[in-house]
Order: sequence, then structure tokens, then C-alpha cells
Amino acid sequence: MHLEFICNGKKVSVDVPADMRALDLIRDVMGLTGTKEGCARGECGACTIIVNGKAVNSCLMYAVKLKGKEVFTIEGLSEESGKLHPLQEAFLEEGAVQCGFCTPGMIMSAKALLDRNPRPNEEEIEEAISGNICRCTGYAKIVKAVTRAGLGNNHG
Amino acid sequence: MGNVKLSSMGKRVRKIDGVELVTGRAKFAGDMKFPGMLYGYARRAGVPAGIIKKRDVRTALKIPEVAMVLLAEDIPGPNIIGILPPFDQPLLAAEEIRYEGESIALVVAKTKTAAKEGALAIEVEIDPLEPILEPDEALKKGARKIHPAGNITYSKKLIKGDIDKGFKEAELVVENTYHTSFQEHAYLEPEAVCAVPCGDGRVTVYASCQSPFHLRGHIAANLSVPASRVRVVQAYTGGSFGGKDDVAAEIGSLAAVASVKLGLPVMIAHEREESIKGSNLRHASRIHYKTGARRDGTIVACKIEIILDGGAYSSESPFVTMKSLIHAAGPYRIPNILVECTSVYTNKTYCGAFRGFGVPQVTFASESQMDELASRLKMDPLKLRRKNALKPGDATATGQVFERSVGLLQTIDKIEERRKSSDLPRDREDDRWLYGRGFSCMLQGISNGAEGIDVVGASVQVSQDGSVLLGVGLTDMGQGSRTVFAQVAAEVLGVTVDRVTVRQVDTDSVHDSGPTVASRSTTVGGMAVFKAAAEVKKSLQKMASLMFKAGEEQVSFKNNFASLKQDDSARIPLREVAAAAYWSGFPLMNLAFSRAPDADFDHETHQGDIYIAYNFGTHMMDIRIDRFTGRVQVLQHIASHDLGRVINLTGVEGQVEGGSLIGFGFAHMEKIESEGGSITNANFADYAVPTVKDRIPTETICVEDYNPTGAFGAKGIGEPPVAGAASAFANAVAAATGVRFTKLPITKEDILKAGGKHGRYSH
Ligand code: FES
Ligand code: FES
Repeated sequence: MHLEFICNGKKVSVDVPADMRALDLIRDVMGLTGTKEGCARGECGACTIIVNGKAVNSCLMYAVKLKGKEVFTIEGLSEESGKLHPLQEAFLEEGAVQCGFCTPGMIMSAKALLDRNPRPNEEEIEEAISGNICRCTGYAKIVKAVTRAGLGNNHG
Repeated sequence: MGNVKLSSMGKRVRKIDGVELVTGRAKFAGDMKFPGMLYGYARRAGVPAGIIKKRDVRTALKIPEVAMVLLAEDIPGPNIIGILPPFDQPLLAAEEIRYEGESIALVVAKTKTAAKEGALAIEVEIDPLEPILEPDEALKKGARKIHPAGNITYSKKLIKGDIDKGFKEAELVVENTYHTSFQEHAYLEPEAVCAVPCGDGRVTVYASCQSPFHLRGHIAANLSVPASRVRVVQAYTGGSFGGKDDVAAEIGSLAAVASVKLGLPVMIAHEREESIKGSNLRHASRIHYKTGARRDGTIVACKIEIILDGGAYSSESPFVTMKSLIHAAGPYRIPNILVECTSVYTNKTYCGAFRGFGVPQVTFASESQMDELASRLKMDPLKLRRKNALKPGDATATGQVFERSVGLLQTIDKIEERRKSSDLPRDREDDRWLYGRGFSCMLQGISNGAEGIDVVGASVQVSQDGSVLLGVGLTDMGQGSRTVFAQVAAEVLGVTVDRVTVRQVDTDSVHDSGPTVASRSTTVGGMAVFKAAAEVKKSLQKMASLMFKAGEEQVSFKNNFASLKQDDSARIPLREVAAAAYWSGFPLMNLAFSRAPDADFDHETHQGDIYIAYNFGTHMMDIRIDRFTGRVQVLQHIASHDLGRVINLTGVEGQVEGGSLIGFGFAHMEKIESEGGSITNANFADYAVPTVKDRIPTETICVEDYNPTGAFGAKGIGEPPVAGAASAFANAVAAATGVRFTKLPITKEDILKAGGKHGRYSH
């Protein structure tokens, strides 16, 4: 099946089998391996991408559903100049990254939150990343990082 | 070395490989792609015990995308994996099935889907055997033998003093039996490897793994080629916690054999269910504990019997057995100790290394005993611990005496201060909430100790531009050891951390440094980096002294400059010194080794000098429990550890916070459920890994009691928090409810049930 959509600001035009998952399209076809697979059942959040402003588990979504949508993956976050997104900076600064396997999904969930709610409180952050498992950090530093990135948003 | 002026030491340092991780650029093994790459998927037994009668691969081979099927007889080498003797685990089973996750065949195909389809299409017939699911059954006389030598994997004793005499002196005896459940590592990245034939007779395996040299050994053996033909490169590894060793050897060997046979790259990436069922767990345990004390609280004797359920294969059971023995009596000065620990085979997923390595289980028992003893003595629990706490000059359970870096009392002092400054809001106790505060003390041996030789190799190279390239034989699986190594080298060479690059481990270019285990990276690995950097520094020093026309002792290095000690304004950029050193023919690379002193140890009694240091810790946890639902909220958790010297504060906190939550999960939430030898909750919906909503407010307090055996005085901190948090939690629950739970996990449901039919506790 043919589909077109916008990924990280660029137009994508591909043919995919009807039963292909969005995750496989992104990783295997488009080569954007920053999005991870941790469970394939919607239970870990490692595969989180943003579709039309909402954080979704790409392992549970068919690729064809991306048709006409605006999609963001972790690769679309930092600028081409290499300048990091405030969330990425905050994750580094707070030490919210250990093995880093949860990080892309975690950051995408947090970005979807900050985009609609620039200065979230702790509960809102918890809610937004409650579907993202991290086995390494114990989460406290992740919550701090998202808070820090939010505080940098002056328009909140 | 203790007095040098420190720059990045003890401060907050960003993870040196952090940018790759936050941008998604870091390549994990499953992210790799090579031309012509194929995918492997294993056919698993699906039953816990039986004899294989038939393996027919014809239907699988008919699937057009399937390239090959490997069976046991296709493995050129001995078809064996396993970390330790007795090397009892087949790579592919051909005869007996000993657990449900056992691999029987590997199907290699053009797509993952086809490989899986092929695996399911293989016709397998297994004559079922009655599975042996409990250690007691396995130990029964006449029980079916799971392995030819019987059902005992490893059984040892620790004998210190005279146990009978000890109990004769005791005025009070506390005796209980404790149980702990299996725990899954649940690293977020399931195991993955990619094997690439190189065309020069060699094969490269990119792996998510913990111990690349183990892996290389297994792969070479199973390929039946010399180890020098195999190169293992550690890919970015998405957590391991002890768990990516045997299983990495399994899929690494399978992928390598297939790729060499086909001449094409082969990837094997586990699904979550495979990761849970087909790789090791934390040992379940039963611990019978008898403590004898005098009325004044002096502990005079401990008798402990430990049974570890090790599942189908030995994996690291022998070492976990040893570690359990050595740590079972806790961080206390006890003259008479007898510990017996036996690891037993059952027809379940095999158990091996998991952060803490036997210590969380025994610490739960020993710290529950301490609280029980305190309540019998009507003594304050922290006071009882203080009274018996190990001090410098005291003999540990193995009779080892440390004159330095025994900071247990300081960790207790810190907790004592915090106890005084924060009252548990018991007075707010009402119809709904019960409040409790729990303490625990613990110790965790650093280094491999008597478990094996402890050598780490590190190479330091300074380029002409003054930048530093570091190679260390130990892996970073997310715990941040690369950053620590970079800091150590930066410190010695007087460069900023951003000038240091630390390679991932590549077996071609670093010395075999054994496994990355036992909280030894910072301590033993850091020491190797220190030595190598110090050697290279000699060349730079010599060069700079020629350039300054001053004595070598006059030269110092700081912030990427060489300068004169008496006149800081006389400086030469390090890159000029390095370039000049290169052109003068001074060596700018060094390979150094750090070798922990050989353990002097009696393996029959477990007496002697075993570790190079211990990390000591004291935890305090405040909780409240909802009487009606059993729900627990952690209000405060303070983890105070003696880690010798802080190198990276952010890294230390990360280890303590993350380790504590794994301990909390172990104590409160996580439980492998099984039925008839089959795990029934092999996914994240049913196996409760803590989420952000379950996180606990851990606060880290660092006690720095200089450790002479570690770089800059440091001791590892990776494992210890697990045991500390789990035991403090159990004691907090007992304090809140008045009920001593002797089984971990203590779930919400357990708490509710124990409260009586109205869900209320009265005390
Ligand atoms: S891989 Fe999609 S939620 Fe886990
Ligand atoms: S950093 Fe490893 S899972 Fe989050």
C-alpha cells in the first residue's frame, strides 16, 4: 500500500505491506533506529513516537495509519546543527540517562506533554510517562529532567 | 595519590556517551544492519521436562525465506554454554529437556517473521517427564536426576568459630525461616546479537552483553576455531544487571555458527517473552536463620541454612552460593557462624547473576532477624545494629580484617541524624493509614575475590593533539563506568573530561578483563586506568620538563595545559607537549593491569581474605499503608553508603536510586508466576516492573571512607542498594503492621490479607 506522510519535517513516500507495524516502517524501512522495541505489546513505551501531537506506541500501530499524518521520532528532535532540544539537554544535565534504551521513548512522551502543557506539574509528568518503563534510573532524575525542561519554557 | 588536587572528582559529570543516547544515534545490537543480513529465531521446548523423540525440520525448510535450520548436531564445537564448570548447558538440546525455554533448533531466514514461522513449523515430539519444580522434591532421596551428577548444583559451608559454644553463650535465640521469589532482570533492551563473517576467516559478533570475553570463548569453542578468530564488540547495551551473560553466549554462538555456515550476517534479537523465559533469573531462596545473642544485644552466634532454587542449569549458581554464604551473617562482628548454602537444580528457568548476586536474599533474612531480635530485647533496632557493627580491625564472617575503609558506623551515624530530624508522622495515624519506619544495614563484597582471578587491563593513548583514547576491558551497560574511567584518566593527565574518549569493549583491542560483575568496575577497572594514564603521563612530564627547561617534578598538568608549579602562568598547551613527545619518540600509549591481590581463602570453610573491600550501607525507609487496600506509599527513603570516594556524584545517585527501585520491586511487587513449570506472566503487563508511579523518593548519602585498593579511594556502588532498600522495606512493613512477613515480595495483597477479614490492623 502506498502512503505519504511527514516525518521529522520531511515528506515521506513509501509502499508498505498492509500488516506492517509503524515501528518496522520507521526502524527497518526508514532506518530511524532511535525508536526502540522493548516488548511489542504496548507495555514498555520504548517505541513511543509522536503522531499528530500525540505520543503513541508505534509497536501497536499499523504503518498505513501514518498516512497523511505528521510524525516525530527522536531523530527529529535535535536541530541539524546538532543543537539539542531542551529535553535532551535536561536529560543529560540531570543524569536521567543510564543505559539509554528507554530514553528516546521517554523523551518523546515528555515532548508530547510539553508541547500541549509547557510547564507541567509532577503529577502531569507522571501521567505522561507512566507507560514508559525505565529499569535503570529509578525515575526520579527523569521526572526532574522533564520538570527542568518545562521550567525553561517561558511561555507557560 | 590520595592528596592530589581533584578537579572533576566527586562532582556532577555528564555521561560521556550521553549525547548519542538522547539523540537516538547510539547503535544497539538490534539496530544494526548489514547487507544480506538474515534473522534467527529459536524453537523452544515449551515443556519443562522431557526426552526429545523427534525433530523434523522439513516443513520449516519448505518456507521460501528460510535459509537454514541449525540442530545440535550442526554445531561444530561441543554444543555447550555456561559460565562456569560443570558447563552443563547445551547450546541446542538434542536429548533431554530441562526447562521450558530450552532451545532445540535455530531457524535462519530472510525476515524475522519467516524465521519465527519456520521455528513453529518444526515438528518436535517430546516424551514428557514429571517436572521437578521445588528444591525439596529435587533433594528427596530417589528423586529423578535432572543432571547425571544429581540435583545439587553446588553446596558449601562457611565455618567460623565454634557454633555450639556460641549458642551455649546465647541468652536469647531468634529463629525464623524466610523465603524470596525469583526476580526477572527486565532490562529494557531484550538480548540481541549480530554476527558478521569478515571474509578473512574471522567472525565479528556485535552483542548486547556483559562480558565480551566470556562470549568470545563460547563462540570460538562452539565454532571449533581458535579464540583469535572471533572478535566480539560490545554494542550499546540496554541494561544487563547481571543478566546478559549466559544468554548472550547462547545467541552469540548460534548467530556465529549460522553466519559462518551461510557466509552472511545473522541477527538474533529476543522478544520480551523469550527474554524472560529463556534467560536467567534471580535465585529464589529459602533461608532458615537462627541468631543467638546476649541480653545486652551482643550477637554471639548465627546458624543459617540456605537453599537456592537455581533452575535447570548451573549458570553462576556456584558463585551466588559463595556470595550468599559470605554475606549471610550481615555486616556484624559475630564470633561463631555456621552457614550452609546449597543450590539445587529444578525444571525451571535457570538462575544466575542479578545485581546483588545472592546478597539481597540473605540480607532480607539477616535484617529481619535483627529487628526481631531488637524487639525481643526491647532494644532500639539501630542501637542493636550499632552495637554489633563491624569496625576497622574487626573480623568479617570470613575472618578477614580490614584496617581501613570500614565505614559502616558512619553510615549508621548519618541515618541516626536523619532519624532525629524527621519524625515519622505516626501521630497522624488514623483510621486509614498505618505508618512504619524500617532500617537495614548491609555489606557487599567488591571484586571477584575468591571466585576467580581479578585482572583488568586498560589502555591509554594520548594523541598528538592531546586528546585521550581509553580502552578498558569492562563493559558499560548503562551504569556509567565509561564516564568514571574518563574522569580517572582526565584527573591523572590533567585534561578536561571532554578530551577523553572511551571505546566500547572490543576483544581485539583490549586485554581480557574477565566479567563486568561484582561492583568491580570503578574499583579494579579504575585502578588499571589510573596506572596506564600515570605511565603515559611520565612521557608528557619528561617532554614538558625539556620544553620548560625545568625539573620534571616542577611540571604539573591541569585543564589541558602543562604548567610550572611555582609559576602557574608559565604554561604550554598539552597538545604541543604531546606533539613534541611524539616527535621525540616518547611513548604515548600504555597498557596497564590492575590485579586484585589473590584471595587467600579456604574453600571448605570459607575463611580467609576474599574481597579487596566491602561497600557498607545503612538504609532507612518510612512508609504508610492503607489499611483498606494494603497499598504502600514510601514517604522517605534514605540510603547511606560508604563508597570510599565519590568520583561522579550524578552517577552514584543514579546507581543508588535505580538499584533501590530494583530492591523495592523485589521486596514489594515483582514475582515470577508459574504453573506446572511454565512461566505465566512473561510480559510487562503481568510481571510488575515498577513504573514512574511506583518510584520511591530515594535520597543518597555518601560516606567517603578512603579505600586504599581503589582508584582515588573509590569502591563500587552498583549492587549494594538493592539489598539495602529491600530489607528496609520489609522492616518498615513490620513496623507499620506489627506483622513480620517472612516472604518476599510482600505484596499489597499479602498485607491486606494479613490484616484480618476487615482489612484492619490493630496494634
Ligand atoms: S515496544 Fe511498543 S510499547 Fe514496548
Ligand atoms: S536508562 Fe536504562 S531503561 Fe531507562
